[in-house]
Amino acid sequence: MLRMYGITKSYGSVRANRGIDLVVPPRRIVGLLGENGSGKTTLMNILFGMVRPDAGTISVHDRSLVRHSPREAIAAGIGMIHQHFMLVPAMSVTENVMLGWEAAGRWLRPAGIAAQIRTASAAYGLDLDPDALVGTLPLGLQQRVEIVKAILRGAELLILDEPTSSLSPPEVAGLLAILRRLREEGRSVIFISHKLGEILEVCDEVVVLRDGVMVGRADVGTITREQLARMMIDRDVGASLPPERAAFGAERLVVADLAAVDMEGVERLRGVSFSVRAGEVLALAGVDGNGQNELADCIGGLAHPMRGRVFVDGTDVTEGGVRARLAAGLRHVPADRRSTGLVGEMTVAENLALRDVATPPLRRGLWLDVAAMSEVAARRMAQFDIRATDSGVSAATLSGGNQQKIVLARELASGPGVLLAVQPTRGLDPGATQFVIDQILALRAAGAAVLYISTELEEALTVADRLGVMYRGRLVGVMRRHEVDLTRIGLMMAGALAETPDAAALYGVGA
Amino acid sequence: MTGRALAGLALSGPLVRPVLAVVLAFALASILIVLSGKNPLVAYAALARGAFGSWDRAAVGLNRATPYLLAGVGVALCFRARVINIGGEGQIALGGLAATWAALHLAGAPAVVLPLAALAAGAAAGGLWAALAAVIRLRRGVHEVLVTLLLNFVGVLIVSEMLQGDLGEPGAGFPQSPLLPRVAWLPRLVPGTDLHAGIVFAVAVLVVAHVVLWRTPFGFRLRILGCSPAAAAYAGVAPARAFLSVMLVSGALAGLAGGVEVLGVHYRLIEGFSHGFGFNAVAIALLAGLNPLAVLPAGLFFGFLETGALAMQRAVGVPSPLLAVIQGLTMVFVLCAMGLRAARPRA
Repeated sequence: MLRMYGITKSYGSVRANRGIDLVVPPRRIVGLLGENGSGKTTLMNILFGMVRPDAGTISVHDRSLVRHSPREAIAAGIGMIHQHFMLVPAMSVTENVMLGWEAAGRWLRPAGIAAQIRTASAAYGLDLDPDALVGTLPLGLQQRVEIVKAILRGAELLILDEPTSSLSPPEVAGLLAILRRLREEGRSVIFISHKLGEILEVCDEVVVLRDGVMVGRADVGTITREQLARMMIDRDVGASLPPERAAFGAERLVVADLAAVDMEGVERLRGVSFSVRAGEVLALAGVDGNGQNELADCIGGLAHPMRGRVFVDGTDVTEGGVRARLAAGLRHVPADRRSTGLVGEMTVAENLALRDVATPPLRRGLWLDVAAMSEVAARRMAQFDIRATDSGVSAATLSGGNQQKIVLARELASGPGVLLAVQPTRGLDPGATQFVIDQILALRAAGAAVLYISTELEEALTVADRLGVMYRGRLVGVMRRHEVDLTRIGLMMAGALAETPDAAALYGVGA
Repeated sequence: MTGRALAGLALSGPLVRPVLAVVLAFALASILIVLSGKNPLVAYAALARGAFGSWDRAAVGLNRATPYLLAGVGVALCFRARVINIGGEGQIALGGLAATWAALHLAGAPAVVLPLAALAAGAAAGGLWAALAAVIRLRRGVHEVLVTLLLNFVGVLIVSEMLQGDLGEPGAGFPQSPLLPRVAWLPRLVPGTDLHAGIVFAVAVLVVAHVVLWRTPFGFRLRILGCSPAAAAYAGVAPARAFLSVMLVSGALAGLAGGVEVLGVHYRLIEGFSHGFGFNAVAIALLAGLNPLAVLPAGLFFGFLETGALAMQRAVGVPSPLLAVIQGLTMVFVLCAMGLRAARPRA
């Protein structure tokens, strides 16, 4: 149903797409696999009419699309579901579906649209309430709003860009089931992902891009996980399990009975206590939205807890804000790279200095030492392999992986005593993910205490000496790595298992 | 550097958009001049003569630009931190008032000290007036756009009130203060012209502001705050303190502008002396792309345009309000160019 031939696109000297052919037959789910910067997004933006190719042809149902707009792409039956949803949180599901949809008519008839949403919801197992406010829905359901928007607009081909990156494991399973239903109904899907497991589970065939070139395509039944991984990055990615330690050092990060409310005054964090010792990684898993953000903000000094204390190497930093934490040796890789961890408008060098201008060597008396700043930047860029033409370009021009390397370089290079890392690999390709994990493990080997918060269970297991699960603002169960039982963790994440006494004994400090 | 490279720089450099905006504004304004039955070339020639025709004319233009430079750079610093201070008008008015008061009441002070003390009083008054707005914003959560805007009226009316009362010149028939003692006047730079020392002072302030913005931790924090409040919090910037500091600085610069105008041009406080200065300062800061050093050409452009427009009215009969049209069109084009730049998708 879709044929793209010889798609080529260059940005200056960067050749983002080089003669890519992509054919999607009807009733097929095609996986598009590739590292960040391999050209997947460019290819899809070309298909959806947001970027003009330098060369190449596109046809849908044997009708060619030339210099088309997104509107024409939609009319041709293409639906795009972006990684960051294009929804209005303050509007209902029905209103979001009607928004910008000409077929909704000159006079809006919400009841009719709501009925259509109910029908589609039942047909595809979306489980959507047309009257719910989008802002109140979890991310998994918001994504389904995007899907229903595309279906009702007549999308025969759905493009999903990294659709599972912010979903919890049960939500992922739900999404994959929906994709299979879409296929049964005769639609096709392009599934863009980094995650080999999901691609192998749901796709019929997979196309692999590397450096803007199509390096392979295969039917999913005929290829193994390892072969795909090699095709994508041209080297083996092995899970690195560091040796488990028998004993750890002193307690470096202590959190006692931390509780916090969100902006609406809802209690999101309900008394969490734990400690992390020197040379130890405590990983906190859990479905997104169970108090992890509030916990991280309170520890990192971005929010005030309602009660409870935070100690770094014995110093009470609860009231001291970000600066007290920096002085005590706590560094923080925040979850939100785009607006918190990084300032896109500022240069790479300035971003590398973002949190250190109050102290030498970047501060010299009253002055900001610009020479020292670019010298530090050059060193960090080499050390962390940050790829930019020079440290004076704005951070927004770098790829996601390189942006994350800036954050990591800034937070890790000083050799902090305590590291708080929140979703540090979100949106990164396997190579970059491995790099992040290696850096964190090196820090652990150097005697730092690491609190690692992630919704990716597999990844949490890779780095954890101990693993805890967050559920509804509480830490339910902390276990040593060798005690980890996946079924039990799954149940805890789903809230089916209450806190157990033996887990409480492992907290390290009393609540 | 070869000619081609220079041409390339000129086409892609930061100056292109403002210069293009000015050219377009003049082009559109010339249509209006034609419609009023005059020759735009003749009119613009008169404007240029009025602005640069003699040392004396140039001196008037520089004097005119001086308060714009001071207040404009203050606005630029605020906007860099995404603090929208549009209270320049009131801050300038109160700065002039405080400078006048100091010059009249400290008349016994030594010759060098008196103007400096009067300028300091002006800066303090402007800074406090802006700080009042900042405190209202921080304590009561009323947006600074509203507070600074409304405090303009209060500030200007306080000046009028003072001129009707204690500070007024008895029997003058116009709300103005008595002439300030000669020792309080800013010294003349070039004998035989009106050019006073304020312009040197203003240029020095621009350089200092540039250094503060780009070469100090304080300026660095302001820029983070302006780009992303979330990143600023993460970088350990105390937003309330940064907000208060930048308002204080910008208010002080506006107050200084008021003091310079009084001590360098009028030698007395006159009702309405600051009319339009505060909003021109905002326009100049935007025209300069919020770069302190670029405030110099932007401020000079406004200063010379105003003196030239008055001459144009006298010589050709083209009404001087046309200058407001040119200023307005320039701003519209600059803002359009900025909007285009923001809307251009990232590669």
